[in-house]
Amino acid sequence: MKLYCLSGHPTLPCNVLKFKSTTIMLDCGLDTTSVLNFLPLPLVHSPRLSKLPGWVSKDGSLNLEKRELLDLSTIDVILISNYHCMMALPYITEHTGFTGTVYATEPTLQIGRLLMEELVNFMERVPKAQSATCWKNKEIQRMLPGPLKDAVDVWTWKRCYSMQEVNSALSKVQLVGYSQKVELFGAVQVSPLSSGYSLGSSNWVIQSHHEKVSYVSGSSLLTTHPQPMDQSSLKNSDVLILTGLTQMPTANPDGMLGEFCSNLAMTIRAGGNVLVPCYSSGVIYDLLECLYQFIESANLGTTPFYFISPVANSSLEFSQIFAEWLCHNKQTKVYLPEPPFPHAELIQTNKLKHYPSIHGDFSSEFRQPCVVFTGHPSLRFGDVVHFMELWGKSSLNTVIFTEPDFSYLDALAPYQPLAMKCVYCPIDTRLNFHQVSKLLKEVQPLHVVCPEQYTQPPLTQSHRSDLMLELQPPPMPYRRCSVLNLPFRRRYERVYILPELANSLVPSEVKPGVSVATVSAVLQSKDNKHTLQSVPKAPPVAPSKKRKRVMEEPPVTMAPKPLLSGAVPLEAFLATLQKHGITEVKVEETADGHILHLQAEDTLIQLEEDGTHIVCDNNEPLRATLRDLVLRFLQKL
Amino acid sequence: MDSQCVSILPRVCGVLLVSGSSLPDDTSLEKLLDWFTTIAQTGTSLLEACPCLVDFVSKVAFDYTSGSSILSFTLKLTGLIGASEDGFKVLKECSVLKLVFNPQHWQEAGLWEDPCLRIGWIQGLKMILKHSEALSFFAQADLIEPLLQLQTDSSLFVASAANQTLAQVLVLCQSPSSVGHNGSKNRDLEHNSLSMESTQNYSGIITKVSDYLNKSVVLKEISQLPGSQQILRLLAMLLVRVGPPLRDTLLLAVINSLEELVSTSCSQLTVPLLDVILAANSGLRDDCVPKQRLIRLLWVMLNMKKPVDVMQAAAAVLRSHQSDPALSAHSARVLLLPLDIVTGVSLLDENSTEEELRILITEQLKRKSCISMICLCLSNIPQITLMASDCLPCPQRLIVTAILLLLRLCCVDSSSSSAGCVEVVRFITGNSKVQKCALEALLVLSKSPGVKMVLVEVFKVLTEYLNSHSSDPSVLQKSYQAVIKWVGVCPDLSCITDQLREGFIQAVRKRACDTRWEARDSTVEFLGHLVGAPSCWAFTEQEMEPSDVLLGGRSFTVPLLKEALQDPESYVRASSISALAQTLTPSWQDGTALTQEQEDIVTQLQEVLFQDSEGFARRAAVKYFIAWFSACSSPSSCWLLMQSVPTVLSQGVADLDWEVKLHTLELAELVLDRAFSDPSPSHPYAVMSDQDHRLPIAGQQSDLLSSLKNLVDWGVVSALLCGVVDCDRPVALKACQLLLKLRGIVCPVMDNTADTRVFCQLAGASMMQQVRKIQEMGKDTCVVSEACSEADKEGICASVDPECVSVCEVLRVLDLDEKLSILTQSSDHIYNSPLSLLQDILTAAAASSPPGQDPRQELVMDCY
Repeated sequence: MKLYCLSGHPTLPCNVLKFKSTTIMLDCGLDTTSVLNFLPLPLVHSPRLSKLPGWVSKDGSLNLEKRELLDLSTIDVILISNYHCMMALPYITEHTGFTGTVYATEPTLQIGRLLMEELVNFMERVPKAQSATCWKNKEIQRMLPGPLKDAVDVWTWKRCYSMQEVNSALSKVQLVGYSQKVELFGAVQVSPLSSGYSLGSSNWVIQSHHEKVSYVSGSSLLTTHPQPMDQSSLKNSDVLILTGLTQMPTANPDGMLGEFCSNLAMTIRAGGNVLVPCYSSGVIYDLLECLYQFIESANLGTTPFYFISPVANSSLEFSQIFAEWLCHNKQTKVYLPEPPFPHAELIQTNKLKHYPSIHGDFSSEFRQPCVVFTGHPSLRFGDVVHFMELWGKSSLNTVIFTEPDFSYLDALAPYQPLAMKCVYCPIDTRLNFHQVSKLLKEVQPLHVVCPEQYTQPPLTQSHRSDLMLELQPPPMPYRRCSVLNLPFRRRYERVYILPELANSLVPSEVKPGVSVATVSAVLQSKDNKHTLQSVPKAPPVAPSKKRKRVMEEPPVTMAPKPLLSGAVPLEAFLATLQKHGITEVKVEETADGHILHLQAEDTLIQLEEDGTHIVCDNNEPLRATLRDLVLRFLQKL
Repeated sequence: MDSQCVSILPRVCGVLLVSGSSLPDDTSLEKLLDWFTTIAQTGTSLLEACPCLVDFVSKVAFDYTSGSSILSFTLKLTGLIGASEDGFKVLKECSVLKLVFNPQHWQEAGLWEDPCLRIGWIQGLKMILKHSEALSFFAQADLIEPLLQLQTDSSLFVASAANQTLAQVLVLCQSPSSVGHNGSKNRDLEHNSLSMESTQNYSGIITKVSDYLNKSVVLKEISQLPGSQQILRLLAMLLVRVGPPLRDTLLLAVINSLEELVSTSCSQLTVPLLDVILAANSGLRDDCVPKQRLIRLLWVMLNMKKPVDVMQAAAAVLRSHQSDPALSAHSARVLLLPLDIVTGVSLLDENSTEEELRILITEQLKRKSCISMICLCLSNIPQITLMASDCLPCPQRLIVTAILLLLRLCCVDSSSSSAGCVEVVRFITGNSKVQKCALEALLVLSKSPGVKMVLVEVFKVLTEYLNSHSSDPSVLQKSYQAVIKWVGVCPDLSCITDQLREGFIQAVRKRACDTRWEARDSTVEFLGHLVGAPSCWAFTEQEMEPSDVLLGGRSFTVPLLKEALQDPESYVRASSISALAQTLTPSWQDGTALTQEQEDIVTQLQEVLFQDSEGFARRAAVKYFIAWFSACSSPSSCWLLMQSVPTVLSQGVADLDWEVKLHTLELAELVLDRAFSDPSPSHPYAVMSDQDHRLPIAGQQSDLLSSLKNLVDWGVVSALLCGVVDCDRPVALKACQLLLKLRGIVCPVMDNTADTRVFCQLAGASMMQQVRKIQEMGKDTCVVSEACSEADKEGICASVDPECVSVCEVLRVLDLDEKLSILTQSSDHIYNSPLSLLQDILTAAAASSPPGQDPRQELVMDCY
């Protein structure tokens, strides 16, 4: 069993597991931090941005993880754990010869589609006339300025995919529900478990009859909107692949939410605007819920909240219909005449308004001071670019970063100098080290595999030995491009016996509770399923003279020789010999048993634990007699 | 004593004698005893007051059949009677005493096993041991043996009472001179202390006690641990209570055993042992031999194996303010060790004797228990700062540095690391307990000499804490306190740069919008408290208020506080109102012109008073006006204040919350005082000039009349009249006192013609009815209509209003003195009277008597 690690990013994993003749890709996250090397793409022409020194011709700006490690066309299935971890899907399934199936839950597919659509929309509405690739040449790159010179693996940076590719990729997705068991070629069974991180997010269990591998990706134990994490099904795993822990181990989500609210209130009270660069699904639901409770108490009732995204409407609506994927609290609301999420009420009361873009209705209804939620969190594309340009000059305004994926200082770099206040409140509800060590204590996997980042404290806080995984036995670390031999050997395989064959068996008890029967059968292996069938009887040869050709003889089915069991008791055996006239016996004790020397017949009988030998030259009748005497004491099966 | 009680008491005793008769509740015997005690304390002889008691006591003593609670009560009662010498004689004569206090008697009856009886025996004995007669009885009856046996009784109550009694016996056994020397506060004891010759007779008792202590202190088995702890506690108490010669005797008797006990180094005994040693040590002269041995013992304890024990010993030594400088210095070093190890700031110079301890503590700090150890260290820093500077192992500035580093390590956001123990960081990061202890220590250290130079560092760390998202509200509160403390002691704030200030202001602003109300509350409170901090020198070299330097003054604070007036949490609203009062007080005192802002605030506060659903906010609003009125040098010239007072008074006194009403009356009192003190601003005790005396009555009258009119106009009189009929006793009492005050000022001067010229309105129908009722009860004539018609004639009262009453008339008619006497009694005075208690006992007994005898029994059944 092997694990190919295609991504070194611990929260955007992409691993391939080879297990029992199947090749399973676990997630395909897309690391988009490389966009920080590019200038923002403003929708409206920005004289300031266009004057910034930059490299004029550029490619699309997305990054694909290294894939030469493995031929992508050999992948049988892709298991997706949450919508953030599927953003590279078109790169895997399109133009690679991929013929397999993708498994994901319904919310994952729908929200993932929204995020992809949004990304494509953001990119395509600001088309670039030209693209360049030559600069990726090492020789040229070395001469480039600033951080670009030091960027690694630039050759993996790809153009953003198109809507057509997205549709094609998503058409390969097959929907699954929590705990639903999916057979893969009869060899293994995969099943998604609720992971509590986002709508439809899942961990996966991959098991054969005798082995179990658990894949834990972004999971959360906090009570937010999704269904709680299913921990018990992860028990008894041989290997647990652990990825997607929190990126902010020191930032408690509750504290951050509090910070978010107080900074927001502080800015609004002072007459400023608040900009929240965020993804259009996920934490935003919790933010809106938190604000729903907070705005009343903080006297912000009249402040408008705007959510601007090409998919804003769908995102808000979708969240309300996935009732079965929500936490218990919200599920029960489905039976009441109120929607599960309170943002519906915010929309009804006109406190929250959503728009597909800054054009159109928004520009006429826009009222300040206000709070704007919009993408993209990298500040390089999307409507956020416009608001950064609009509000950046006033110190009354605040930008609050809630997504932990990008370094906020790097994101802000092209907007400097900036008068606007910047607050970093990364909200990451995924498991922290304390929670994960508790989880592992509970689940007790034999081996844990995790990104190497989790096996040492973070670089900036090297004294925090509590911010790493400490396990016994130590976890197996992986990094980008590693290939791990997972440390367990398969020892058993399940074989089925057909009923009629089972019926013909005659078990005999060899010792109390243990019965043995001999089986003669034909082993049939098909679709990784092994079955014992009864040996077909030779068809009675029809007495036909018309037979021209001698049919191939059916295999001669000889009755198998009986198996013997038991031990020959020495005293009783000697007595029997005597009864048969053999009196001169010399008994010699050996390490394994006894040797009987029949002196008159010049014959030796070796009685040992696992065999009996009769050595007598040229006296077949005697040998047969002796044989029969020995057999009297043994049991035939 | 009430004659009615005396007449009932024999019947009550009779009821108590009937065994098994139920009592109304299990505290009634206690209450009865309390009542007897009060009688005895007033100086009257209990036997003279209630002669039936002796009979009762002797009957119970000879009859075992009473329940154990009655027996216990009787034992205590016997003690109470015998506490006076007369009573003692009577009891002795009827030979009750010997019987009652003979444990053998109770053992034979099989009642001694009951802890209830034992506690009665001990408490009775303790009560009786007030005079020499009793002591000689105690010695003759050889009661010391059973008393000693009870010292480690299985019942903790019994054991504790036995300890107290033993101490009392020993105090009585002392010679009179030593009792005086010991400063015994018990006058009875001093009065009754024994003559020299009799003292000799009690050496037997002292020997027995010494032997007993010596024997019991030593710990033979671990199973005896609780007993050993109890004995140590007893010993500590005895050493504190008895005087020098006897104490030395006791100490000499036990010191060998103590040394032996210390050598066993049993953790559970560390604290009680320390108590004993420190108690013994405190009164000894330096040169005496036991003192040297005790000091040696303390040294042994400071070198025990377990670091926690050593730290506890060191803390105890510091707390007791030891005179031995070496010992204190060493204790301080021990207590600072964890801080030294964790932070890596070398507070202590290299000292080979501490190396072993350092290793042990370092090991301890790698476990989770490090939290309690660090907290122990931090909580003793105040003791360390009190030490003489030459005893301190390092300058206090260095301790501040270490604490600052510790605070940084505890902060979740901080990335600072220490040169010290790395393993401990995982336990203390984000631990609010350690954070609070460290901030507490920092607070104390603000007074240390030479720490001003670290002010900037302190300020940075505190701002970091205020800014941190993970700070617990209690930590935030402590941080705010620390800011005020440090700013208060630093007269020069010029080191606070603009950047630091900006960061601080941002943090405060953010906390004012926090999602947790506790954090908002602390912030608002801080804004108020900062105004009270002493002035300082800022960078401009001018004297400035700290709130101006740190926060930019009122232009920052007031808008923030006004926001907080709208807070959903009532505590925050209340705090913001008091903070506003604190903030504005200086301007009120200076008599600065009113601003629009202040007018807005007053409008908002009146809204609070009218509409707020929570009492806290309304109370604070009334207090705001109280503060304003008392700070204002001449309230009558402040139109806004004088305009608001009538509204506040009328609204406040009609509030549902009694505290709001009471505060409103306090405001009324202020107005009242100011109204009558205004014309003659002289001191109440100032010598009056002849002219004052000769002031014509008419002049006085007219002055008073105008003041009274003002009071009526401001609504003070209505508020008082409304308050006096209030159903909340404290409110009615206060109003009654104020009305009496008013009557004392007004009525002697006013004649009947003048008083009818001042009327006031009675607001509210119920109040009017009540005042009317009182009026009618006092005087049958209809004062009001008469007065009104007369006033009408004179043109003073424009309309004939049935709700109008003449002030002076009302003051005279209302029987305020009677009302005051009723109101000063507690509301449960009838329920709690001895008569009611006795009646209850009788009623309960009657109710539980067999059916047929009492017709009420059936009634009870019916009801059921």
